[in-house]
Amino acid sequence: MCDLFALSATKDYSAPEFLPIFAVQAKTNMDGWGIGFFRKHHAVVEKSAEKIFHAGQLHDSFQRLARVVRSKVIICHIRFRTSGLLDECHAHPFVLKFGGYDWIFAHNGKAPDIESYRSCGAVIEDAISDSARTFEYLRDHMEDHHRSDSKPEKLFNILADSTSKMIDQYPGEYNFLLSNGHLLFAFTNHRQFMFMKGSKTLKGAFLLTTLARGLTTEKWLRVAKATNRKGLLLAISGNDVILHKSI
Amino acid sequence: MCDILAISAGYNYTPGKYLPIFAEKGKENINGWGIGFFREDKALVEKSPEQVFSDRQVHESFQRLARVIDSRIIISHVNCPKSGGHHSTHLHPFKFTFLDHDWLFAHVGVVENIDAYQTTETPRLEVDVYTARIFEYLRDQLVLLHRKNPYISVYIALRIAIQELLDDYPGDYSFFLANESFVFAFCNYRQLMVLKESESMGDIMLITTVEEGLSRTDWHPIVPDPQSQGELLVIAGPDVLYAEEV
Repeated sequence: MCDLFALSATKDYSAPEFLPIFAVQAKTNMDGWGIGFFRKHHAVVEKSAEKIFHAGQLHDSFQRLARVVRSKVIICHIRFRTSGLLDECHAHPFVLKFGGYDWIFAHNGKAPDIESYRSCGAVIEDAISDSARTFEYLRDHMEDHHRSDSKPEKLFNILADSTSKMIDQYPGEYNFLLSNGHLLFAFTNHRQFMFMKGSKTLKGAFLLTTLARGLTTEKWLRVAKATNRKGLLLAISGNDVILHKSI
Repeated sequence: MCDILAISAGYNYTPGKYLPIFAEKGKENINGWGIGFFREDKALVEKSPEQVFSDRQVHESFQRLARVIDSRIIISHVNCPKSGGHHSTHLHPFKFTFLDHDWLFAHVGVVENIDAYQTTETPRLEVDVYTARIFEYLRDQLVLLHRKNPYISVYIALRIAIQELLDDYPGDYSFFLANESFVFAFCNYRQLMVLKESESMGDIMLITTVEEGLSRTDWHPIVPDPQSQGELLVIAGPDVLYAEEV
């Protein structure tokens, strides 16, 4: 199963300790890795189809990127292939531009039904996977709301509504992270998210991962969907959860 | 009647266009003005007890600040006689540090009896105006709720705090509460006018109590439902993230 990590902070942050810890704990996922972040409001993604951990060593580029990447939002994905080919195009995160932003997206879970979705808009080139189609679906439906709303739209409601429709149309397992550089959205309908605010070693940042025990010995909070709901959506800005609601 | 304006952008924005328009629209508020903004996550406030607009001119310092301030979030208040004394310390926005952030607060409206509120936390705002007591009340509630549950979402915590405030001190409230990342806007009597505007650097969100908005473009009214206790919005960057009745 793939794993996800995100950092959100009020100012640009590096995660030279946490990214390697995440990578080591998620090393059983052998099918690629990626790090997404923002530089001057533009999304930047570095990814690879190579193993994150090989011969007792973390991937050299990953280690270097972990030391160098600096951003208010950092999203990392370690891949265990369940859909799509084993190549760099299929490694996450993905980037799409819409609604005036660059958006970074990473997904964990299996949603084979959505592979049949065909977007009318720009597609993620060369990526034939449930994750790529999920991102396109969310983009398409968020843009539809944008076109039809005369009033200023409410971003959380739009994403919640788009995600809810997607689950109805294409049932599956969706844990995803989505960020425009100002806000980080996290959705879960299987497994869990573990999060930590105010870690002693990274004061002022908010950390989130799908790894069941978190990344440190500190107390991480587990959040998961309620059994009678479709999922749980969180909106994070800086080091605060602004809102979390069941869908 | 006092007026308030909040500007939220996804990048550091210089309010050279809209702050002077706001000052002109609020020219009947003759008891001073204030501008709050953030520099490297620290809240800064500039205020003056002088008229924001006189002799057909926006106050010189107000104009200069509008050209120079560079912040993702900017809050301004123009003061009417109802809001308290003429001394600049009485003017909004007020600032506090709590829950790991600097916060700015500006309010319009009339609330009876809250002058007597005694904060349970420190520091206290050493000014005798009821807006300071409202800010202390909300700060106290947010800190208390956060102590009980460090992972409570900020929106839910503020909604609970407002419900408590309205139970304890019923009144007319329109306020902005902002940290360096997001702005909360609440109203239970006057409508708020909202506009998402495209600027050369990117979009910005404007929200104000000025009835007709600040331009001829289509401003959208946020009108509190008389059956509800009010409407609470949270704005992040140039977007309304969420809005719900309290």
